[in-house]
Amino acid sequence: MEVTLQIQRYQPDDDESRLDSFTVDAPETATLLDVLDQIKDEQDGSLSYRKSCRMAVCGSCGMRMDGAAVLACKTSMAPLVEEGRTPVISPMGNLPVIKDLVVDMEPFWGKFRAVQPWLEEDGDPPVKEWRVQQQELDRIFKEALCIQCGCCVSECNSMEADPDFLGPAALAKAARFVGDARDRGRMKRLQMANGAHGVWDCTRCYFCNERCPKGVDPRDAIAKIGGEIYAEGMLSDKGARHAQVFDFSSHATGYLLETALVPYTDPMKALDVKFALKMVRAGKAPNPVKPHRAKKLGEVRALSKLVKEQEKQDLADKRKGVTTDRENES
Amino acid sequence: MKSSYAYYPGCLASLSQKELDVSTRAVAERLGFSLVEIPGFTCCGAGDVHEARPEYSVHLNARILGQAEQLEQDTIMTICNVCTLNLRQANHKLREDADLLARVNANLAEVGAATYSGGVEVRHLLWEIAEGEGYEKLKEVAERPLTGVRIAPFYGCQILRPSKLLGFEDPDRPQSLERIITACGAEPVDYPSKIKCCGFPIVLAREEVALGELIQPLAEARAAGADAMVTPCPLCHLSLDAWQGKAAREADIDFDMPIVHLAQLIGAAAGLSYDELLFKRHLVRTDRLTDKIYAETSI
Repeated sequence: MEVTLQIQRYQPDDDESRLDSFTVDAPETATLLDVLDQIKDEQDGSLSYRKSCRMAVCGSCGMRMDGAAVLACKTSMAPLVEEGRTPVISPMGNLPVIKDLVVDMEPFWGKFRAVQPWLEEDGDPPVKEWRVQQQELDRIFKEALCIQCGCCVSECNSMEADPDFLGPAALAKAARFVGDARDRGRMKRLQMANGAHGVWDCTRCYFCNERCPKGVDPRDAIAKIGGEIYAEGMLSDKGARHAQVFDFSSHATGYLLETALVPYTDPMKALDVKFALKMVRAGKAPNPVKPHRAKKLGEVRALSKLVKEQEKQDLADKRKGVTTDRENES
Repeated sequence: MKSSYAYYPGCLASLSQKELDVSTRAVAERLGFSLVEIPGFTCCGAGDVHEARPEYSVHLNARILGQAEQLEQDTIMTICNVCTLNLRQANHKLREDADLLARVNANLAEVGAATYSGGVEVRHLLWEIAEGEGYEKLKEVAERPLTGVRIAPFYGCQILRPSKLLGFEDPDRPQSLERIITACGAEPVDYPSKIKCCGFPIVLAREEVALGELIQPLAEARAAGADAMVTPCPLCHLSLDAWQGKAAREADIDFDMPIVHLAQLIGAAAGLSYDELLFKRHLVRTDRLTDKIYAETSI
């Protein structure tokens, strides 16, 4: 099949990037990486990109195709040829470009290191080994699948606005250790993730879940950490307090208490009288004295209380960490 | 399209974004489907309760799904991206995990709430009128084509992603809003950020980050020559409309971009008046758009 690509080219000395067009005659089974290899072998040896395993395990060949981050080795070209598309291949987003499709991964690894991606232990190591129960492994199964390719980071909308945001890959890795029954650094990790550029920076755009080639679902991992921070009563961050208003509202009146949301999340914002007046003039300010109330509120109040009891048990289990030293097993 | 839906307006359309609820009811009448009220529905908890108390979030949404089932409705109609994702997310979990469904139902029964058997679909208004019978009906009722009006579609996140829970269309190349804009006689305006985030979930907790996200679609839609932007989500609407002034100051660009709800756009094409669609309840004046729409008729 004939495959045409437009590839974004960039040299360190260039002022800006340019698009080069290449056409190759590739086999029906060709992946994007195969096509790039063919271009490099047959047409332009100076084309630069990363690759290694060719089987979606090493995480080296992350790049963008028509603006969406993919692993080149996992992307089959035949469907695109069939659709008559001429895709634009460009480097991943949110990372500095070194040359052509090669990005500088250092900011990525810096954030990765910041979450201390190793097991923290206290006391004596096990005599033989820790035995992790299946249900304990299940909790972090998805997060453990990460191959650190950076596809999630490439598309993170929050990171575009705040380059210091720890981001989906590092936080998914943090979740992998927060949920590890052998780990003893849980509270330290939660405090780190609760920081200025931590979980509450996430805008829930779900691009990370959409792009991840391994099914890690980083947004869900971020939510798991947020949930544990909340369960521990760590409400110092505006993000956690914002969530608390939704939680409280859902059983206090049944509807979001819009009038409580601003002052409780960020008291300073409540002083923005000009903004508040604009809302009032447009008829958008809810009645603070007589809030909207759902019917059958008793049901949802009892439900919240009942589930709370179950949540307490769950938290106690997480705090304890459940492992057995194989040596001590009966 | 169905003849009736269990109607879940959610919090915002019931409260500060009342114009969306009013427009949706008016449009439903024109399109010929009935909206059955769910007595005693609550907030879906949004992404906030989903994150902070995931177990409670499933219960909260299961109760809403159970209430729809009790009304003998097999489909809930939503008009908010966040409600759509929350209800569908919970629905997916409950249908996939029999133990979870049993546990949740035991709790619902204990507090005297409706239990849920798993038989309800959750569909956004957008999906019901972007194809099939709903789309044909839309073309039929669009008796006042919005000729010469250029509309930039803004999808928002949680009607596209995660696609495995939403899945109505290609999340990278959606076309549903464009189809509807065209059916209304207007011209869709294309721009790259139409599938990106408006920043609303963190606009109170991380205003600078949220504004950074918000500026991009506003600037692109303006550069593309749009008369207005349309969105299927009241949270995106609030962000694009109410926070537009702050975004304009931050970016030093006078966007002057009217933001309309999907139901308002359809309503205008269906011949509903400025007052019936409550355009006056917007922070950014809609004159740039509504003057064009209502130019030939007296408002």
